[in-house]
Amino acid sequence: MKRSGIATASLLGVAGVFLTLWTFPVLWALLTSFKSERDVLAYPPTLIFTPTLGNYRDVLFGATTILPNLISSFVVATFTTVLTMLLAIPAAYALARLNLPGKRAGGFYILATQMLPPVGLIIPYFLFLQKIGWLDSYKGMTLIYLTFSLPFAIWLLVSYFEDIPREMEEAALIDRAGRMRAFLYVVLPQVRGGIAVTVIFVFLNAWNEFLFAVVLGGNNVRQVTVAMFNFISVEQTLWAKLAAAAIVTMAPVILLGLFAQRHIVKGLTVGAVKGGGRR
Amino acid sequence: MSNGRVSLKKIVKRHGAFTALHGIDLDIEPGEFFALLGPSGSGKTTTLRIVAGLEEASEGRVFLDSTDITNTEPGDRDVAMVFQSYALYPHMNVRQNIAFPMRMVGMPKGEIDAAVQDAAKKVHIEHLLDRKPGQLSGGQQQRCALARAIVRKPRLFLLDEPLSNLDAKLRLETRGELKKLQRSLGVTTIYVTHDQEEAMTIADRMAVFMDGQIVQVGSPKFVFDNPATADVANFIGSPPMNLIPASYADGRIRIGAHELQTSCRVGGERNVIAGIRPSSVRIGPSGIPARIDLIENLGDALLLDLSLDQMTIRARTGTEVTSREGESVFFSADPTAVHLFDAVTRVRIND
Repeated sequence: MKRSGIATASLLGVAGVFLTLWTFPVLWALLTSFKSERDVLAYPPTLIFTPTLGNYRDVLFGATTILPNLISSFVVATFTTVLTMLLAIPAAYALARLNLPGKRAGGFYILATQMLPPVGLIIPYFLFLQKIGWLDSYKGMTLIYLTFSLPFAIWLLVSYFEDIPREMEEAALIDRAGRMRAFLYVVLPQVRGGIAVTVIFVFLNAWNEFLFAVVLGGNNVRQVTVAMFNFISVEQTLWAKLAAAAIVTMAPVILLGLFAQRHIVKGLTVGAVKGGGRR
Repeated sequence: MSNGRVSLKKIVKRHGAFTALHGIDLDIEPGEFFALLGPSGSGKTTTLRIVAGLEEASEGRVFLDSTDITNTEPGDRDVAMVFQSYALYPHMNVRQNIAFPMRMVGMPKGEIDAAVQDAAKKVHIEHLLDRKPGQLSGGQQQRCALARAIVRKPRLFLLDEPLSNLDAKLRLETRGELKKLQRSLGVTTIYVTHDQEEAMTIADRMAVFMDGQIVQVGSPKFVFDNPATADVANFIGSPPMNLIPASYADGRIRIGAHELQTSCRVGGERNVIAGIRPSSVRIGPSGIPARIDLIENLGDALLLDLSLDQMTIRARTGTEVTSREGESVFFSADPTAVHLFDAVTRVRIND
């Protein structure tokens, strides 16, 4: 089937509009990050300017360095992701497979936690962390992020586990794998795609989180989102540095995305079964 | 080498209030090709899964060579299974799939490779070892599943409708090969199918399941010739046996106003169900008058639908019958081929 020229043109047009809408802010930030603060404020905005790496130098190694904050963010996000996956994978598998009493209610509860507006939890969480002395600590931050990421990850992973035919596991049981190895060798490799997706989402949420980071963090744990916020102050806003910091902060996430995407695509093609038609 | 005798003692399986199996007793001899035959929902697959250890029996015991395996884990039972969906591991290639059961017991790599080659050769897939299951045809997947089962030389093969996902032609071919393979390996095989023809052609003996019970056990020929109940008679044979409400007295069967001769002798007068296989119906110059509703030409035979007092009686005749649809004919039945079942209990009367 061949599309008409007009249809193709209008499709490309629509795609172009959306692409512009989505890429413009990123490109603008990229552009801004190479400007001097004076060029940033020039009106009308100028496209021709003398590019400078000064902002990056300041943001990475200067007085306003965000490197420690990047490390803080990385530690929190990594801990959150690893712990989430360690707990969510067995939980999701159990929810998908075993006929536990109250399974449906539990499933709904998990989803319901996602509907709660996070703002409502700030004060209870603050008081709670204060009580146990975990404010402004990595363990405190990770614990709080877990309360959001764990239900989300479980909910996401359950559907991936449910897609795997029970018979495949039963075959592994008969093939003398035992429950544990049936899970590790037969089930887990087939949900790789789902795990990659979940890892990206969980890491991304923790990495980009601001509200809890600013309230529950402090001097020990100051995540990069909070550090970036400090470029905006009462007297002035350092737009160029803020833009440079934003670009630097985006980089690891983009790398993670590219890395995980390769796995997702691979997972999708490997899982395909012709004929038998169970997937 | 172990021999593989299977005994089921009073197996009951309940799912909540529903009872799937009402006390199954079964003995399967070493080396036998044994079919569990029955309509869907009759409990044959549940029985197989209980033998495999994938489901627990609510009551009763399972023995394999006089060892009680009722509570043994599936992996410790020394059985291999081919699933209806084949259940190949999609992320592993054929070689890894076949090697999996041996890898799980930590067999040395050299031995595994040799065994994989050997098993693949037996089912003619040695050229496909590096493919993923997704790149195989249905028939090749089926062979791969078979190779994975035979590779570890188990005491018992369990096959759950292994041919049902193949097309008709391939099913016939594979059926024959499966039978030969089983003979050459000599391993006891339990084969679940709802296809009576499949069970008839492939099995040494079979058990017919109805509503969670075994109604009859015997060789396919015996069951075909001596169905234990009217329902078994109806299930086995294609087209199914004609079951005609009638009354019996003194060697004669009365169907409405008509009579048929039978060689079978039982005492007294009673209401019966007369069972006549379509192939035993004779069209001739005398007998019971009936109208031909439909003629189906099978090439080497004709299938006639005869109507008699609102009943349809099917006849399978040679192509020499020249009557047309709508015409009236007379039919009778070979007196030695009439089966009698009790009208109430539907149990076989003659022997």
